[in-house]
Amino acid sequence: MILQLTNASRTVNSGSKKIALLDSINLNVNEGEFISLMGPSGSGKSTLLNCIGMLDNFTDGSYIFLDEAVHTMKEKQRSKLYKEYIGFVFQAYHLIDELTVYENIETPLLYKNVKSSERKALVADILDRFNIVGKKDLFPSQLSGGQQQLVGIARALITRPKLILADEPTGNLNSKQSTEIMELFSELNKEGVTIIQATHSENNASYGSKIINLLDGQIVSE
Amino acid sequence: MIRNYIKIAWRNLQKNRIFTSFNIVGLTLAFGAALLLTIYAIFELSFDHFHENGDQIYMVYSEDSTPNGTEANISKSEPFAGTLQKEIAGVEKITRRNSANLLLSYEDKELRMSGAFVDPDFFDIFSFPIIKGDTQNPITLESSIAITEFTANRIFGDKNPIGQTVTILRDGKQVPFTISALIEDFPDNSSIGFDIVLNFKSQGQHAYNRTVGRWDVENHEVYMKLAKGITPEQFENSTKSFTKLHYKDAIESAKRDGIQPNVNGEFIQIKLLSFLDKKFTNFNKGTAKVNRKMPYIVLGIALLILLIACINFVNMSVAKSDQRLREIGMRKTLGANKRQLFFQFWGESTLVFIISIILGVLTTILLLPHFKVLFKTKATFAILLDPLSILFLIVIIIGITLIAGGYPAILMSRLNTIQSLKGKLNSNGKNYLRNGLIVAQFGIATILICGTLVVWEQVQFLRTKDLGYNKEQVIAFPLNGKRNDQQALQLLRNALKDQTNILNVSASNNILGLGKDGSKSTSVLGFDHKGIGVETHMLVVDSDYIKTLDLQLLEGRSFRKNLASDSLSVIINESMARQLNEDEILNSQLNIDDKSFSVVGIIKDFNFQDLDRNIAPMSLFALPNWNLRNVYVKVAPQNLEASYDIVKNAWADIEPNADFQASFLNENVDRTLKKERDMISMISSGSLLAIILSCIGLFAMTLLIVAKRKKEIGIRKIVGASITTITLLLTKDFLKLVSIAFLIATPIAWWMMNKWLQNYIYRIDLNILLFLGAGGIVLLIALLTISFQTVKTATANPVKSLKTE
Repeated sequence: MILQLTNASRTVNSGSKKIALLDSINLNVNEGEFISLMGPSGSGKSTLLNCIGMLDNFTDGSYIFLDEAVHTMKEKQRSKLYKEYIGFVFQAYHLIDELTVYENIETPLLYKNVKSSERKALVADILDRFNIVGKKDLFPSQLSGGQQQLVGIARALITRPKLILADEPTGNLNSKQSTEIMELFSELNKEGVTIIQATHSENNASYGSKIINLLDGQIVSE
Repeated sequence: MIRNYIKIAWRNLQKNRIFTSFNIVGLTLAFGAALLLTIYAIFELSFDHFHENGDQIYMVYSEDSTPNGTEANISKSEPFAGTLQKEIAGVEKITRRNSANLLLSYEDKELRMSGAFVDPDFFDIFSFPIIKGDTQNPITLESSIAITEFTANRIFGDKNPIGQTVTILRDGKQVPFTISALIEDFPDNSSIGFDIVLNFKSQGQHAYNRTVGRWDVENHEVYMKLAKGITPEQFENSTKSFTKLHYKDAIESAKRDGIQPNVNGEFIQIKLLSFLDKKFTNFNKGTAKVNRKMPYIVLGIALLILLIACINFVNMSVAKSDQRLREIGMRKTLGANKRQLFFQFWGESTLVFIISIILGVLTTILLLPHFKVLFKTKATFAILLDPLSILFLIVIIIGITLIAGGYPAILMSRLNTIQSLKGKLNSNGKNYLRNGLIVAQFGIATILICGTLVVWEQVQFLRTKDLGYNKEQVIAFPLNGKRNDQQALQLLRNALKDQTNILNVSASNNILGLGKDGSKSTSVLGFDHKGIGVETHMLVVDSDYIKTLDLQLLEGRSFRKNLASDSLSVIINESMARQLNEDEILNSQLNIDDKSFSVVGIIKDFNFQDLDRNIAPMSLFALPNWNLRNVYVKVAPQNLEASYDIVKNAWADIEPNADFQASFLNENVDRTLKKERDMISMISSGSLLAIILSCIGLFAMTLLIVAKRKKEIGIRKIVGASITTITLLLTKDFLKLVSIAFLIATPIAWWMMNKWLQNYIYRIDLNILLFLGAGGIVLLIALLTISFQTVKTATANPVKSLKTE
C-alpha cells in the first residue's frame, strides 16, 4: 500500500463560517494503481491531490504514506518525503519560463543535490525517451501546449517518483495531444508508477484502473 | 546549483530590463555619490593622523578672563615654551611655531615660500621625516634651514639641495641660509603646512628680537609632546603656580578691573588641546570648541542616499515578486526548501548590487577629479584603501545587500505553495511597509532640500550683508615684492594717479576677509586707561584708508595726508569708544607704551573679523614706516574688470617677480565662508540625488501599481469614470504619502536648521514660506513623476486592458 487516508478532512475558515473542502475521506491506494478522480468544479479534486502531494495539509484525520504518518510530520520532513517519492503534473504545465527545457527537467535533481554527471545522464535519458532531444535548448514559450506538458511530465519523472499526481493534465490540450499524453501515462503505469489524476473527461478517466467520484468534498462512489 | 541560480538571475534581470535598469542606475548613482562623500569625510577625519605620536601631541593655549568673558588665546610669548618645560613636569618635547610668507632667492630665481619658524624639538614631536642631510639637528644652527622635497625641486630641480646656500629677505636685508636637510613631502591631510622650516630665532626683528624675554608680547603657537602616564587634565592643574608667577601683572590688573575669574577662581588657565582635534577646533567662541559635525554630516548624507536607493530596491523587488509567484510555487513543488529559495532570490539581488557597486566605483573614479575641484578637497581614492576603511565599506555593503536583498527574498521564500502556484497572493490590502518606506524617502528628500535652501539663504545673507565697508569696489592684495612697503606704495600711487577709474589707494597691516594668499592675522593691544585695562584690535593704516574703504566717520576727522603729523593720533570704532567710556571721547588721551595718543576720530563699527564674531574694539594708527603688508585700491563702480587689469599691470611694472594675489574684498569675504559654501554644495548635491532617486522609485512603483490595477481601471472606465477621476484615483494615494512625508520632515528640518543658525551672530529668521517652498518643490516633482504614468493609463482604451486578463 502506497498511501492510506482515514477520515481525512480539510476545512477552511471563510469569515466566521467553517467550510469543509474535503469531508472524511477514506482512501487506500496500492502500488501500481492508476486512479482517476472525477467530479464537478469545486468538488475537491484539486484539494485532495494537493493534500496527498503534501503541498497542502489535511486539517483532520490521518494520512499514512509509505507507512509513515504524514499528519504528524513537520513541514521539513514532509518536504523531504514528497521530494523523494512524488512527481506533479499540472493543467497549466507550470514550467519555469526563464529556464530551457533541459534546465526545467534538471531542476528537481538540483534540489535533490544529485551530482552533475549523474544529472546529465538522467536528463539525457529522459529527453531521449520523450523524443524531445532537439528541443532541449528551447524556452517553454517556444513550445506547443502538448510539448510543454510533455516536458512537465518528463520533469515529474526525472526523480523516479513512486507516485505521480496529475491535476487535469490535458485540460489545456486539444484531443490529439490529450490522447498522446494519456497513452504516455498508461505506459508509465504499466512500468509500475502509481498515478492519481484529476479529470473532467470520461475518456481520460477510462485510462485508469479505478475511478473515484467526488462531490462537495466527499467520495460518492468508488 | 550556483550556476543555475546565476543563469536564472541573469535571465530574470534581462527580462525585467526596465526595472533592472532603474535599480542599477539608482544604486550606481547612490554608491558613486556615497563613495565620493565617504572619501571626503574620511579624508577630513584622517587629518593629522599620520603623526606617530599623534595622541601625545598637544597644542598649548590658555583660557583668559577678559572684559568680554572667557577667550581662548592660542598666542604665547617668547619665554613661555622654555619656561613651561623647565618648571612643569610632563613636557617631554616642546616647540614654538610661527609661520610667515618669505621671499627666497637662489641664483636668479625669486620664490615665495611658506616658512615655519620652529624650535629643534619640532622634528621629534611631529612626524616629518628627514630623508637626506642632517637627520639629527637640521635647524639647530640659526643659519640652517630644512626644505621639503617639493620645494627642493622648485628651487634646484634635480640638483642635490644639501649644502646649497639660498638667501631670504628679512627686515629688508638678504640673509644667507644653508640647506641642511630634505624633508619627505607630507600627506595632504596635514594641518601644518610649509615649504621650508627655519629655527625660531631666525625670525625678523619685529617677530623675535623685540619679544625676547617679554611675557606680554604673544605672537606664536606652542606645541608639546606630553609624557606618557600624565593626563592633560593633570598637566593643566599642575600649571596653576606657573601661571600665578609669570602672569602676575595680568592677573592683578584683571582683579583690579573686576573681571570675573573662571569657576576655579583662575584668571588665566593653561589648557592642552589634542593636536588631532585642532583641525576641528573653533577658537572664536570663548573656549576652544571641537566640532567634527561636518564630516559626520557628510557621512550621514552618504548613508541617507544609500538608504533611499535601497528603499527603491526593496519596494520594487517586493512589488515585482507577484510576477514570480508561479515560479516560486513550482520550485517549492519540485522540492526547493525555504533556504534554497532565499538564496536564489538573495543571490539575484546581490548580483544587482555587485554590478551597481562596480559601476559605482567606476563612477567615483571618473568623477573624483571634478569632485575635488568642486569641493576643494585633496582627498584621493587611495584614502579608501587602508584596512580600516575597507573593512568599514565591506561591512556596510554586506549589511546593505543582506537587508535590502534579504528582506524581499525572505518574503518570497515564505509564500504558500498552493497560493503562489495559483498566482494569487493573500495580500492584506495595506502596504504599511511600502508606504512607510516611501514616506521615509520623501521625508529625507524634503529635509535635505530645506537644509539646502536655509544654508543658501544664510550664506546669501552673510555675503550681501552690509559689513560697514565697501567690499564691491575695493581690490586688495599683499605687498609681496622686494621693495619696502612705503616705497612700493608710493610707486603704485604714482602709477595709478592718472587713471580715471582708480579712485583711491591705501594700505594697512591686516587684511579684511581672507586674502587670496590665504593670509589672515590680527594684532591685539592691551593697555591701562584711567586705571582700567582695555584691549583693542590694532590696525596700522596708510593715509586715505577710511576714504578708500568707505568707512563711516561719525565724529572728528580722518588721518591727514601727511601721516607723520598724525603719528600720535588714533581713530577708534564705536565699540572701542564704549569701552573707553569717556564723556568727551574726542581728544582724550590714550597712554600706550609710554606714549600718549590722542583720539582724533570715531568710526562706525565694521566687521573686520569673521562673521561668527561680534565686532570687537578697534583702533587705527598712522605709524610711519610701519610694515603695511596689504594694499587697498578703490575703483570706480563701472568696468571693474578693466580697473583690475590696470592695477595688475601697474603692480607688474613695480614688482615684476612678485605674484599679483589680488581680489575684490567681497571675494575675500566669500573665502571666509568656505565651510558654509562647501556645506551648500554637499547638501544640495545630496538633496538633488535624493529627489532623483526617490522619483525613480516613485516612477517604478506607479508603473507596477498601475499595471496591477489595469483591470480595475478598465472596469471603472466602462461603468463611466472619466479620465480625470481615474488619474486622481491613481495619483491621490501617492500624493498622500508625499504630503505625510512633508508634515513629518518639516518640523525636523526646522529644528535642525534653527539649531545650525544659532552658530551665527548674524543670521536669517527662519521663514515658513521657505519650508512650504521646499515642500511644494517635492510635491510638484512627485506629481509630475506619477502623472506621467497615471495619465497614460487613464487615457488607455479600457477594452484593451480587460482583454489582456
